[in-house]
Amino acid sequence: MAAKTGSSRVAIPSFGGKGKLWIGLLVALMIAGLAAWGYQLTTGLIATGMRNVFSWGLYIMMFVLFVGLSAGGLIISSAPKFFHSHRYEGFARLGVLVSLACIIVAGLLILPDIGRPGRLYQFFTSPDFRSPMVWDFGIVLLYGLLNLWYLWLLTRRDLAARGSSLALGFKNTEAGRDRDRTLMFWTAAVALPTAVALHSVTGWIFATQVGRGDWFSPLVAPVFIAKALVSGLGLLLIVSVLADRYTNFEVDREELTSLGKILGIFLAFHVVYLLAAERLPHAWADHFEFWAIMSNFLIGDSVYFWLWTVVGGAVPLAMLALPPLRKRVSVIFTASVLAVVGTMFEGIRLVFTGYEVANIDSAPGISLGGEYTGITTDIWATAGAYTPTLVEIAVTLGIIAFGALIVTLGLKYVPIQRVDAEPSYATDGGKQDQ
Amino acid sequence: MTNYGLVIDQERCIGCQACAVSCKQENNVPMGQFWNRVLTEGGEKMDTPSGGYPEDGGSGSLDMQYQPTACQHCENAPCVKVCPVNATYTRDDGIVEIDYDKCIGCRYCMAACPYNARVFNWDEPEHMPEEGTGDVEARPQGVVEKCTFCSHRVEDGLDPACVVNCPADARIFGDLDDETSTVSKYINEYETDQLLEDRGTKPKTHYISGEMSPGRPQTSDKMESELDDVSPWSDGDDDVPSKEADSVGSESSSSSHSVEGGEIPYATPAKSGGDD
Repeated sequence: MAAKTGSSRVAIPSFGGKGKLWIGLLVALMIAGLAAWGYQLTTGLIATGMRNVFSWGLYIMMFVLFVGLSAGGLIISSAPKFFHSHRYEGFARLGVLVSLACIIVAGLLILPDIGRPGRLYQFFTSPDFRSPMVWDFGIVLLYGLLNLWYLWLLTRRDLAARGSSLALGFKNTEAGRDRDRTLMFWTAAVALPTAVALHSVTGWIFATQVGRGDWFSPLVAPVFIAKALVSGLGLLLIVSVLADRYTNFEVDREELTSLGKILGIFLAFHVVYLLAAERLPHAWADHFEFWAIMSNFLIGDSVYFWLWTVVGGAVPLAMLALPPLRKRVSVIFTASVLAVVGTMFEGIRLVFTGYEVANIDSAPGISLGGEYTGITTDIWATAGAYTPTLVEIAVTLGIIAFGALIVTLGLKYVPIQRVDAEPSYATDGGKQDQ
Repeated sequence: MTNYGLVIDQERCIGCQACAVSCKQENNVPMGQFWNRVLTEGGEKMDTPSGGYPEDGGSGSLDMQYQPTACQHCENAPCVKVCPVNATYTRDDGIVEIDYDKCIGCRYCMAACPYNARVFNWDEPEHMPEEGTGDVEARPQGVVEKCTFCSHRVEDGLDPACVVNCPADARIFGDLDDETSTVSKYINEYETDQLLEDRGTKPKTHYISGEMSPGRPQTSDKMESELDDVSPWSDGDDDVPSKEADSVGSESSSSSHSVEGGEIPYATPAKSGGDD
């Protein structure tokens, strides 16, 4: 059972056979990713599917996804603290741990996208503060440090009680815990606007650009907030269900169901409301007949659109809305997976809408700087096309594996839950919350 | 202040690609990349018109125009504003240029440029011949590059290579802030457009279409501001400014000579056809 020391619980007291296998798998993926990155560094970004017309690809798509994923945990753990509530206390530390891992993954995903990583120090020696990328660099760094500080603040007294050196000399005293509670409130007060800024600034990287179709829209920043709420909460639910099943982490069924319901509300706001708000004005302005307006409003044109709105929107929304379904852990888990996958396709779609059409597309077009793999036979293109290469996929998986390793090691070394003061852990979730 | 700009007379442009080729050569542009492209506004393919032939009930609406396209050197250049490390910057003379030592290769500028004027060195750049061409140092793998208005030539008082090598005199380079320059005068006198004006980038490349301008005949490598006579009708024999009147005269005499003394290949058969 749970390794209890004092009143805190570590999810993984020690790695068993399966645990070691899991770590081995992650390390193998990381090594493969490093090797792929090394190959890409020597050959150049020609090893990717990106070319002159379609010049950002999988790395940026996944960067957008992981920035969003990093939202959920921090918000779920800091929002209640800000309102002095103990709601969702059992998810707080895991949430911050997952947020920290995701923002590290997001930051690392930029590295392989850079043509000359050796020159990255220019961010410090020669920054242009007009550039949204400089703003994002700053906010991602700040957000990462904030997550690290917050996770440590949440757990340092328990770490001290367990005699862990990670307490960095802090003692487990009542006065100290009281002081930490005040610090947690203020950290939460800083964390919430920082999270809003992170997602807005990441959205503005795209929303400020006049040359890339739908990117230039004031709605992009609010949409980034909404999809961060959806995917971030979705990922937190996925990780907590998995941790509940495979480690000593224990999920409060009632709170899980409640968070599932909140995910449904986020989904409705994001996929139904914001999407409608974005599409209706264009559909109305571009068409004359009622049914032409309606069909243009409701029917999307790309497969990514449908993957996002139906598989990642309507289906999980229905699962989380139907009373007989929404309390089942398996349903909440599946809906969360679909929500995260849907958000991923939304990010993919965003990048595609920017690059697949060239503003000036007269023949012969734009020189590609290399052939598109298997799509064209010459160096010219009048439209963008993109398929990620195995190198890009390997690098991306390696970085994601690193994030998973951070979460796994966090579950081993960080006391992830308090076991006192939460009698609700005893319930088996059979009781409904409403 | 100097503020360099370019006027391209699309009515004069004959689509010969000389500007595209001389740009590639002068600037040592790698294989597979172009800084300057001559696009065909018309049919689906290069050098093809849109519309139909004027026969057998066809619409007779054949239409085609060439649009030479390179960096527009925008005044409100999005690429300059997005560059996180100040690698892309606007020079005091208005030229948008890249410091290849600073460029980290993030390609945000390519996302920002509405004209797709920028290219990225996806692999080790290849040159033909291997040692390269022209007067510009090769750029390394992993940086973005683009048209510089041949800033290395401009600094020496020379027109950009594409301007000098245009056989149709369709490209005119000069100072937009100087009201007496040919570029300023043509922008005032002729109907000019900028590409994607609605994006608010304020390009410094202006396109004449509709009425054909006299162009600016290239008689020397030198920029207009370096010449003593800036009249578009002058042959700009700038080395001997005192012979200005002479040189104008010699131009007309030489051209008339070429007409009179030439073979005139189809004039005679036309006459003989008339005799028959």
